[in-house]
Amino acid sequence: MEAYIISLGTAIIFLLIAALIANTIKYEGGSNPTDPKRRKTWFWLLAVLNPVVIFLLGYYVFMPDENIMVVNKYVAALSIGTAIGFVVYIILGFILSKMFRNGKVGNWF
Amino acid sequence: MDKLFVIAIGGTGMRCLESFTHLSAIGMFDNQEIELLTLDTDQTNGNKGRVEELIRLYNRIKTSGDAEGGTPNANTFFSAKLNLHRYYTNYSATGRENYKNISKLSTGSPEEQKSNKLISDLFLDNSSVQEFNLAHGYRAQTHLGSMLMYHGIVEAARNIVKGADVQPQERELDQFVSKLEKAGANARVFIFGSIFGGTGASSIPVIPKALQDFVKIRSGGTSTIDFTKAKFGSTLLTEYFTFKKPDDKQKSGKENSVIADASFFPLNSQAALQFYQSDPTVQKSYKILYHIGWPIDSKSVDEENSGHQTITGGANQKNPCHITELLCACAAYDFFTRQNGFDGVKAEYLYKAVEFNNNSFNFTFNDFVGNVNKAGEIFANRLGAFFSLAHISLTINGNDGIKGFITRCQKQKLPQYADISDEECTDINDYFRLFAYSFHNDRFMPGWLYQIRNTVAPGTFMFDSKAFPDTAPELKKIDIGALFLDEKNHWSKGGIFSNRYDNFIEKLIESSSNDNQKVNTTKEKFLAHIYNAITVSQNFNLN
Repeated sequence: MEAYIISLGTAIIFLLIAALIANTIKYEGGSNPTDPKRRKTWFWLLAVLNPVVIFLLGYYVFMPDENIMVVNKYVAALSIGTAIGFVVYIILGFILSKMFRNGKVGNWF
Repeated sequence: MDKLFVIAIGGTGMRCLESFTHLSAIGMFDNQEIELLTLDTDQTNGNKGRVEELIRLYNRIKTSGDAEGGTPNANTFFSAKLNLHRYYTNYSATGRENYKNISKLSTGSPEEQKSNKLISDLFLDNSSVQEFNLAHGYRAQTHLGSMLMYHGIVEAARNIVKGADVQPQERELDQFVSKLEKAGANARVFIFGSIFGGTGASSIPVIPKALQDFVKIRSGGTSTIDFTKAKFGSTLLTEYFTFKKPDDKQKSGKENSVIADASFFPLNSQAALQFYQSDPTVQKSYKILYHIGWPIDSKSVDEENSGHQTITGGANQKNPCHITELLCACAAYDFFTRQNGFDGVKAEYLYKAVEFNNNSFNFTFNDFVGNVNKAGEIFANRLGAFFSLAHISLTINGNDGIKGFITRCQKQKLPQYADISDEECTDINDYFRLFAYSFHNDRFMPGWLYQIRNTVAPGTFMFDSKAFPDTAPELKKIDIGALFLDEKNHWSKGGIFSNRYDNFIEKLIESSSNDNQKVNTTKEKFLAHIYNAITVSQNFNLN
């Protein structure tokens, strides 16, 4: 259970970071503004980092100090949680992007 | 609602019309379809060509599909529909080059010829005034010019009645006068021209009468213009520029024997004002006359003219714009928007003064259009919005210009303006270049607003002096949202991670055009959308 909580929590924090970064990137003028691309790049960079951080956090910080059976179960749950965290990040990101489609986070998708 | 008409006469009149067109572009004449007539003796005049091209460009911007010139809108850029009509007295054909030829002094019986010569010699100098080339205007000979301008208009009416050899410019005059006749008591006609030069000074006193007689002749006496009902207004624009004195070499030929001499402009102005004060025809035909002048040293327009000769007219006469011309356009705004002052039997004379300190003028927005019904705030908002948009298009967006907004909207999932073509964007960009500035071979060329501001500098001119950079490096540093002198009209800076432009784009994304702007086409909606976003950013109290 703990592994899933770590995954979801990290995914949401990463999503908030992506939204914050998107909003700090200013709208540019000119014939070829690069700001939408930069927001998108940050979103996907964090999407890649998100599972890495989930797994590393779960493995090195929140690993239970129990017997091998429990640890194995935890690692299995952490692996699934990492995948879920990645998917949740993408799905929530997609929903947010469509909700605020004309705003800065709208540039994610 | 009255129907609006503008007549621009001579070089100065054309430049006043240029200012009037820019006022229309910033949106000062909401819901109006305005008939414009350019009237000159000099078909090739540079100022005339420049303003006609400007109006054609304005109309291309308004045009969408088959609706040439578009439709009137409200609370947006390019809100008025402008219909251009052009008329010129033809002095280039054989036998029409000068007074002697055009008045056919050497035709008729010997007795008639003798009488004609005597009466001509009585009023007009035989060797100079009767023989100079009329193609470049009346050259400050207003006694000759008034007669010939009246003659030209009446001759056009007669040609139209005859129906033979009607010239295109006579047909355009006929279209204009027909609309004037149709408007009847609901017509408001404003006339631009100087009273110190040639063509304008000659024409202003006689134009209402000439148009009245045009209607009478063309209708066979069944119709007329009633001066007690139709509202005519004009500017009494006294001297505000000067130019090189012609030398003896230039004046040696007969066709250049008379050249307007700028040193006489103050005297011409004084004499003209005495005339306008007492002439019964003027008193009867005009409702309001606006005194406009430049009470300090006149600026020379010869800085760009490297030659030694005085430019008498033609394509080379392209004088830079002056703030008095903008004031004339604002006088037209007052005339077209006022609710009273048309009931008098005699012309009313209006004037106002502007603060003058440390040898320079200090203009505020209210000095131009007053502040009745918040006109000053509206003017400030619209001029500021258009100027900001010009800077964004030319300075921020660079070569992409207005297209940059379409790109921005598309990137923010607002694809509704994608249909606006590159050609349409180019027209809008070209307009901004004429309005603000352009670069030709890396050389900075001031546009209308920069030229106007240059005539006032170092005095204050509505905007912060930092709003007028004139080199590429300085332009790069401009803060688009801080053009006004008053900080309360600066665009919001936003939070720590924002800036004025970023904040403006937020507002652009949040806003859109609305129904009371009466915009129909994609291009109109696009311009109205940008207008609304800038208006919100500028924080003027418009309600």
